[in-house]
Amino acid sequence: MNDKQEKLIDKKGIRLDGRKADELRPLKLEVGVLPNADGSAYVEHGKNKILVGVFGPREMHPKHLSRPDRMVLRCRYHMAPFSVQERKSPAPSRREVELSKVIRESLEPALFLELYPRTGIDVFIEVLQADGGTRCASITAAALALADSGIPMRDLVVACAAGKIEDTVVLDLYDAEDKLGAADVPVAYMPNLNAITLLQMDGTLTPEEFEKAVSMATDGCKQIYPMQKEALKTKYMHIKEETQEETEE
Amino acid sequence: MTLKPSEQRNGNLVLPGERLGVIEEFIPDSGTYVKDGVIYSKIIGRALMDMLNRRVSVYPLNEGAVVPKVGVTVIGQIGNAQSDNVLVRIMGVGTKKNLSGIFSGILHISDVSDRYIDSMNDVCKPGDIIRAKVISGKNQIYHLTTSDKNLGVIYGFCSLCSTLLEQRQYEMHCPKCGNVERRKTAFDYGKEEI
Repeated sequence: MNDKQEKLIDKKGIRLDGRKADELRPLKLEVGVLPNADGSAYVEHGKNKILVGVFGPREMHPKHLSRPDRMVLRCRYHMAPFSVQERKSPAPSRREVELSKVIRESLEPALFLELYPRTGIDVFIEVLQADGGTRCASITAAALALADSGIPMRDLVVACAAGKIEDTVVLDLYDAEDKLGAADVPVAYMPNLNAITLLQMDGTLTPEEFEKAVSMATDGCKQIYPMQKEALKTKYMHIKEETQEETEE
Repeated sequence: MTLKPSEQRNGNLVLPGERLGVIEEFIPDSGTYVKDGVIYSKIIGRALMDMLNRRVSVYPLNEGAVVPKVGVTVIGQIGNAQSDNVLVRIMGVGTKKNLSGIFSGILHISDVSDRYIDSMNDVCKPGDIIRAKVISGKNQIYHLTTSDKNLGVIYGFCSLCSTLLEQRQYEMHCPKCGNVERRKTAFDYGKEEI
């Protein structure tokens, strides 16, 4: 890459894509985009484009995976072959399998799994275009899709990453910063319960930098949360109007 | 819970995790949960605060997660049929007619009706659409019954040519090949839309 010599962040604190250190990429969230799914959501986070579909609760297949006391949550994070510069094999890679697990574990605390024993719920996350921070965008969208499916939830889950580029802790890394930067800390957070459901770190940070990154990422989550609420409200306000029209007729 | 539209309108739109109050103020009702003494919504809906009885509930705005429960009427298709029981692929539960998956249920000859039945072949055939009621969820499968006037086959298909059967008195006639079969039909056979 030619920007290896270029500074990722200049003296004024402006990053390569023109953002400040604590600035998020533009975010667009949409709910209820797939008519065949029980719940669905679409997110555009910077250049990331991610589609999430939720199916269930339904009978588990294979049946032996079902649990007699609770519902089983299954997540499939998958990147489309055309989502990155170089064609990605459509087979699930090691990274995708791990991200599926990590996303599942970050969503599980938000669900009342014990309410629907012997069933399973499937969350399909399809990354159409990737530009760094897809796991966080996926979690944000998956929480919306789950809420849209009508399954009882403790809280919405919202995720955001922070990281370090050239000794500065910054919010919401994009692909180039992720690859050339020093560290990346994705955080998933339940805003009303004030609980962190996912915390990872890759790279090296001092304890002070780590704490700064976590608080920066949770602040980022708090910025995304109103947009998440707005996306759900846009759909359900609309539904309310429809039902009213029907009853008036 | 049935509400007039005017009552629904009163409530604010709430999302999962939204704080509704504390247990000292309200008795938490449907659609809510309590954590550390605080009442939160667990679904998307309209918050209804009953100030008279001091109850708070959330009226759901979508169908929500639907699973078969004991006492609920379901719609399903007959799968594998044996002489004393049939497997039913439950496709619709209550008012939700299209589940995203299927649940399997079993209809045993003893639960078909009050009268004596010789064989399951006189009740239903593979491919038929039936309406049934869930009587048990034990043994990892839903046990169904059709022992009621409004329960039984609602769409039956000829076992020779798969044409939709017509009901005539106690027998079912195939309009195409003239085959005569028997079914335990619901009173509104062939009328319900699915």
